[in-house]
Amino acid sequence: MSTATASFFFAVLALCCLAGVVAVLAGGLIQWISPSARLLTLRRDVGDASVALAALVASVATFGSLYYSQIAGFTPCTLCWYQRICMYPLAVILGVAAIRGDRDVRWYALPLALIGAGFSTYHSWIQAFPPDSGTSFCTAEAPCTTRHVWEFGFVSLPFMALCGFSFVIAMMVMARPAPEEVPDAEPTDPQPVTV
Amino acid sequence: MPNRPTPSPSRSERVRMAQAAATRSRTGVLVGGAVLVVLLVAGIAFIATRGSGDDAPGGGASASGGTVVPSGDLSTAAVQVNGAALPPFGKADPDPAIGSPAPVLSGQSFDGSTVKIDPADGRAKVVMFLAHWCPHCQNEVPRLTDWLETNGLPSDVELYAVSTAVAPERGNFPPGAWLRREGWPVTTMVDSEGQEAASAYGLSSFPYFVAISADGKVVSRTSGELSRPQWEALLDAARAGSSAPSGVSGAASPAG
Repeated sequence: MSTATASFFFAVLALCCLAGVVAVLAGGLIQWISPSARLLTLRRDVGDASVALAALVASVATFGSLYYSQIAGFTPCTLCWYQRICMYPLAVILGVAAIRGDRDVRWYALPLALIGAGFSTYHSWIQAFPPDSGTSFCTAEAPCTTRHVWEFGFVSLPFMALCGFSFVIAMMVMARPAPEEVPDAEPTDPQPVTV
Repeated sequence: MPNRPTPSPSRSERVRMAQAAATRSRTGVLVGGAVLVVLLVAGIAFIATRGSGDDAPGGGASASGGTVVPSGDLSTAAVQVNGAALPPFGKADPDPAIGSPAPVLSGQSFDGSTVKIDPADGRAKVVMFLAHWCPHCQNEVPRLTDWLETNGLPSDVELYAVSTAVAPERGNFPPGAWLRREGWPVTTMVDSEGQEAASAYGLSSFPYFVAISADGKVVSRTSGELSRPQWEALLDAARAGSSAPSGVSGAASPAG
């Protein structure tokens, strides 16, 4: 697999993640304005699949990160490392949670994804608009502003990471029990009426 | 109660079990769909990038196109130098290299194809030396690429680049991949491990430019990032065969 193929692949997947995040936001907004039973069913289904979907995205992101450093030979900069520190554990804990069906994993995954998204937002910004003064994070050997990937004129490596983190955040929000799923009371069986 | 038959599930339990099964299958569809999307995108990526490779024989890894950097990732190769080496570029004014014949360089590009820089072939030239890890080269390459996309390759001055001082551990490696990403439109030679091409031209820091007149003599040498007017002045100097003010222009990375 050439670097060009890999970059196209990961860039399109990143945009798919972004589309997922937009869909979740739009769905939430529509449901808030005019609630419908169909959307609620969809929300519940996505909620059920949320941990597995987040695990899939975190695993592909981890694989991509390792591909770029170990196979393509790009040296990760300091900011890249901070994002890796957040993404790699997500792949493991979300994977385990997906197998166990543990939606409470959101309490552990959300902070990691939020911290990672913070770094990738800043990193995406300085790759898109390199500051003249440089950044305090990086060195001449591994400059943070080098665009190792620049697909479609705007998709950089940190932008891909940002899409991945955003998707994990969206899925972890969806992993909350849907309103009707709140375990408030056992459903009662209709008892046969004896006369 | 080993002998008692297992009680059959009540109606409500059956409904719950059916609901759970339906939920599981819908979850499966969602997750399976996501995996399918990943595989589909992989297929599209293979087809899309294979197509661009066919359209652009120069390698075509860059979305911006126009690159002539071939798809190989050779980072060093033997370089043959014919002619006397230029004195190292320094602060001396006037530059002692002005008027000296520039040596002939024969080597290879990133895919092993032959590149020959022959200053005595009757055409004016600008030869640029770049290091993949040097931040000033990383700034200069997109700036020159923009200029060349806007103005086209000059018809009366040949441009060559030499990728030198390769150091994988210093990042942005391999140089071929970097230049393809940038859509670099200049024919590029890879220097040897001993940096013979760079030494022959008296390189002392990156980026480094040598303007050569049509009669094969050095007319100007400069180092550091060039602004647009400085770049245009360098082309004019090569074209006119007369010296432009040489010296350190902008920020440069020391060699070695």
